Amino acid sequence: MQETAALHVEDLTVAYNSRPVLWDVDLTIPEGVLAAIIGPNGAGKSTLIKAVLGLIPRAAGTVSFYGKPYQKARELIGYVPQRGSVDWDFPTTVLDVVMMGCYGKLGWIKRPGQRERKMALEALEHVGIADLAHRQISQLSGGQQQRTFLARALVQDAQIYFMDEPFAAVDAVTERAIIALLRELRSRNKTVIVVHHDLQTVTEYFDYIALLNVEIIASGPTTEVFTADNLRLTYGGRVSFMEDRQVVLAGGD
Amino acid sequence: MIKALERFIIEVLLWVTTPDDINALWAQSPRNTAILIGALIATSGALLGTFLLLRRMALVTDAISHSVLLGIVVTFLLITLVLDREFDYSSPLLLIGSALAGVGTVFLTEWLFQSGLIKQDAALGLAFPFLFAIGVILISRYADNVHLDIDAVYVGEIGLASSNTNSHCLTNCEPITITPDDPRAITVRRCMNCAAENLYPRDPRAEFEEFCGNCGTYTPSEAVRAEAQGIPIYDDNEERPTFVYWPKSITIMGLIMLLNLSFVLLFYKELQLTAFDAALASTLGFRPNLLLYVLLFLVSITAVGAFDAVGAVLVVAFFIIPPAAAYLLTDRLYQMLLIAPIIGVFATSTGIDLARGQFLGVFSVNRLLEALDDIVGLGGYTEWNVSISASMVMMMSFCFIVAWIASPRYGLLATLIRRWYQHRQFAEQLLLGHLYNHQHMESMADECSINTLPMHLNWSQHQVERIIRNLRSRHWIEIRGEQVMLTDSGEQHLLLFRQQLMQK
Repeated sequence: MQETAALHVEDLTVAYNSRPVLWDVDLTIPEGVLAAIIGPNGAGKSTLIKAVLGLIPRAAGTVSFYGKPYQKARELIGYVPQRGSVDWDFPTTVLDVVMMGCYGKLGWIKRPGQRERKMALEALEHVGIADLAHRQISQLSGGQQQRTFLARALVQDAQIYFMDEPFAAVDAVTERAIIALLRELRSRNKTVIVVHHDLQTVTEYFDYIALLNVEIIASGPTTEVFTADNLRLTYGGRVSFMEDRQVVLAGGD
Repeated sequence: MIKALERFIIEVLLWVTTPDDINALWAQSPRNTAILIGALIATSGALLGTFLLLRRMALVTDAISHSVLLGIVVTFLLITLVLDREFDYSSPLLLIGSALAGVGTVFLTEWLFQSGLIKQDAALGLAFPFLFAIGVILISRYADNVHLDIDAVYVGEIGLASSNTNSHCLTNCEPITITPDDPRAITVRRCMNCAAENLYPRDPRAEFEEFCGNCGTYTPSEAVRAEAQGIPIYDDNEERPTFVYWPKSITIMGLIMLLNLSFVLLFYKELQLTAFDAALASTLGFRPNLLLYVLLFLVSITAVGAFDAVGAVLVVAFFIIPPAAAYLLTDRLYQMLLIAPIIGVFATSTGIDLARGQFLGVFSVNRLLEALDDIVGLGGYTEWNVSISASMVMMMSFCFIVAWIASPRYGLLATLIRRWYQHRQFAEQLLLGHLYNHQHMESMADECSINTLPMHLNWSQHQVERIIRNLRSRHWIEIRGEQVMLTDSGEQHLLLFRQQLMQK
């Protein structure tokens, strides 16, 4: 299991000013799944992704991707940050942003050329906004911004994708398009790990979940882990709200 | 090394021109030198400033340029007191020492911020005045006599840049030695006892000694200087050495400009990526922090190089204003990197005339002052002659204001026009919609007559008439008697508009 796991996290602790944000997290996500990290606000979901990717310092713990440490697995990793984490008034075009996805393979100094352009245009075609290629990014709607980021991730051509709230504040059409894309990635045996908010869609979208609230409450296949008890443990006091949800979910199952 | 480089440039120039022409171009022309140095500073600053602006770090330049002062003073003290060498403003040691101080400020800021006790802007505001204060104290205590005076710290002395030169001897450069038996030697008499016995040289008791007045060994530049002071060295028909005087700042700022340019050209992709999305840059294996500190190091070097010319305060404008104007004029990064230096160079070359009262050749402050002098009496004070660097910054601000008002896409005018147009278009659609909703209804006669429309829409009669006129000219409505009717093309247009509205 450990050898083939797409992501293996052991004893990961992250602290701000010695206040733990993530506490002794153990997490193993197998290859070829659509996985969600779920938990209340402030549970450390984004922090988990950032710590795993080495964007913020870890107080303790080890992380490996397909059995390799981060430095050796860089080419395998694709990252889609939160939409709000960048400045959308930046003077650049959609195509330029998508081409950034291949900068990693280009390495230092070398410039993107025709090949990279073609890849970027194909990716834009794939996410359905090829007609926006030359548009200034400040003129995009929220859904179009998210599609731009996804096209960039496609260009990265990674094995394991980390996406920070790709469904946040996008319209229903875009949400459909995104989930179709994620499923397609899974069918190509890629692993997709998503920070997710909407409990309603969990069973429909994801086959693997990790419930997080500073600590990992439970993780495993959705069918086994997405239970009322686990959710109550994760979300604490908001039980009545959770039970409501659970009725809906039980009906859906 | 810098002298060797200057020599090389001069040799190249001499293929097409003469030493006299080179001197006339730079060393004897404070104006030309100031324009060139201003343009070099503006280009260097704009290239880096573009990325600082996009990273929302514009004020970091302010912090760096201030703490650079501390670096200059400390390096100065190290060179003169510890190494016991003569202080040279264009020493590379000074550049690097001061640049380290600039980067040190940013480190200190980050460190304060990391402590978690204060916010980033406050950390910045704490760090650099502290370092600047140390610099000011050290100047007033130890470095008073050098030309590091506090005034120059604020605005610099770009007008004097032409007088701080390296001299390069081209011909007759052998040192000259004059011995007492040389025909060029001049014999001088000196009274030996005048001072001691308080005598006038005409006093008969005065005793004289003869000696050689110009004997000794002179380097070519010493020889020329001696002649300028009235001590004859050369025979009248002897060839004097020829010199090219080369302002030091030109070389230094030229090198800094090339350094910045190659940095931006080489790392354009990385700079763009880290400025837009540092997290992605980091996961792709680029080093956003490393790149940032190299950028800030270059900002510091540029600030030191420009310190002499424009001071610690005004230099901030050279980094920020041209990119800010360019940002309004384009939405492509590479175009910003082209437009910002062009604005900077334009502002510096026109700013020097503004310092003398000439605004772009269309307006003369002097003439205004003369006219005012006639009317209210300024006591004959009609000469407008102000700081050159400050005038250059005025021109930059002027360019920014023009861009702010007139930029085709983001300017004030464009926004107003767009808003006015949208407003009008919206009113038209509203009227069309009203007609559409009420056509073929019983209430139509009441709702859609020219006379009742103002009441129903709560618009003024004038407004309704104007909109109806516009719509009729496009054949979207027609008027039968008092009745306003939607035409077929008007209906189609309205439905199309609604469809577009839904899609958004």
